[in-house]
Amino acid sequence: MRHISEQDIRRLERTAVQIRRNILRMIKAYGKGHLGGALSAADIVTALYFQVMRIKPEDPKWKDRDRFVLSAGHKCLVLYAALAERGYFDKSLLDTYGALDSKFPGHPDMHKLPGVETNTGALGHGLSIAGGMALGAKLDHLDVKVYVVMGDGELAEGSNWEAAAACSKYQLENLLVFVDKNELQISGSTKEVMSYDPLPDKWKAFGWAVREIDGHNMREILDAATGFPFEKGKPSVVIAHTVKSKGFSFAEGKVSYHYWKATPEELAQAEKELAEMERRLQ
Amino acid sequence: MEKFADPRETFAEALVEAGKKDSRIVALSADSSSGSGFSPFKKNFPDRHLEFGIMEQGVIGFASGLATMGKIPVVATIATFVTSRPFEMVRNDIGYMRQNVKLVGRCGGITYNDLGPTHQSLEDFAILGTIPGFTLLSPGDPIEIRKATLAMFEHVGPVYMRIGQQPLPYLHEGEYRFEIGKGITMREGKDLTIVATGTVLQKAIAASDILKQKGINARVINMHTLKPIDRDILVQAARETGKILTVEENYLRGGLGSLVCQVVSSEYPVPVRMIGIDDTFVGTGPYEDLLAKFGLQPEQIAETAIAFLRK
Repeated sequence: MRHISEQDIRRLERTAVQIRRNILRMIKAYGKGHLGGALSAADIVTALYFQVMRIKPEDPKWKDRDRFVLSAGHKCLVLYAALAERGYFDKSLLDTYGALDSKFPGHPDMHKLPGVETNTGALGHGLSIAGGMALGAKLDHLDVKVYVVMGDGELAEGSNWEAAAACSKYQLENLLVFVDKNELQISGSTKEVMSYDPLPDKWKAFGWAVREIDGHNMREILDAATGFPFEKGKPSVVIAHTVKSKGFSFAEGKVSYHYWKATPEELAQAEKELAEMERRLQ
Repeated sequence: MEKFADPRETFAEALVEAGKKDSRIVALSADSSSGSGFSPFKKNFPDRHLEFGIMEQGVIGFASGLATMGKIPVVATIATFVTSRPFEMVRNDIGYMRQNVKLVGRCGGITYNDLGPTHQSLEDFAILGTIPGFTLLSPGDPIEIRKATLAMFEHVGPVYMRIGQQPLPYLHEGEYRFEIGKGITMREGKDLTIVATGTVLQKAIAASDILKQKGINARVINMHTLKPIDRDILVQAARETGKILTVEENYLRGGLGSLVCQVVSSEYPVPVRMIGIDDTFVGTGPYEDLLAKFGLQPEQIAETAIAFLRK
């Protein structure tokens, strides 16, 4: 991996604003959607799709591509936004979010949209699917890496811990998981609803190499995403501390924006804030 | 003397045969290798045998991910633990993703006679049958277990195959063509049709022999594929024999009888009577005695057929 310059960082930060713009575009088209988790994961997903992953948007089924698994499928707006921005399909399709038979369902469908690798939505499925991909690559000695984004609320699903044990048993060094730890889930704070803290200790106990980062700091995201496995013979997990709805000040850290039913005033405010973000990054 | 074979050993041999033909096949065990017929595969292909322990949900996702990478994974364990236990994983990660994954449930039906309802599986076909695109196989004798196993790997797409526990008699004589979705007429007859599947196909054939002695010629259809079901053979049977009796080691809700009714009620309505397990958790006891509790022994099937004909 080549050196990542300050210019690269600035470029990615600007792209992350554009990703948020694409998310807003879909929300505008339909009027509502899972906002909070899409925005908390936006910087991580931007880094993966615009710097880290070896992919060919013009050949989405390229055998040796890296794989991205969005385990928390309800964060799909950020995936659609990234795929559109990366050129997997025409951006105008984003305006069909929520329409009849849209290629953008409320949870991703790999058979509808190029670039989507898995059908997720029910929580606690993604890690085992990703583990299977990483294991398949390992068995065939393919240089394929598998990246996963999970929610922190999602960790209450026991199936994740089945998968965590198996990824560790098979020493999946080519697997990197980001836990988007925005600390909120639909009923309230993850701490109150069902806490799995301390997360680093839990993952370590399952045989994973763990790193903690600020999930909105592009440099920290890239260092983790380009520098794994963190320990030889182990799968790697990044506990990314994030803010739900990051970027839209009126919604940040508020559980009510897990699923946003946007008002015209809020949409206008979001537009304004995106413009300000862009100005700051010029 | 009638020749029998252990269904798991038969599956095990067929799996090795398939594995030799296709190096993409990998076997995923949920602490189920020796019990589910993976041991010979493991011995032949140690690198293609993957052990997950008693991880009956996660193993399905791993199978899905391996399929993404071009493998043909097969997961085999006790029938209920590869169907009911991980149902949502099977539905989403394999069915909805249309993955080329094969599931094999052994000791299906009530063939785990002594271990009770937690280990018996009478709803596996019913629930997996609701998943679009899933193929359901229910072979009825050792020859057919081999053929179904080989066909399962040649078919591209998700497949579930159920086998039992008790040794099965050889019902097929000589070579025959096995095709997914095509039922087989095992006995010709015009008086009524008995449609049977899997472990109790042998009982239906024995019942037809009893009926024959009484001058009743029952057609016997072996419905080794429950999905997609062979509509043509059923409609033809309805037209030519006028009555259909179904015989299965399943819950009646969503089982073979229900499927037969769905076809004939819309395409050629005739009376249908069903023998199977009604709305109850089956207890434990000798296997043959349990079958008798639900009218699944040959004499009982023949009696039901005679009563059905008189009606």
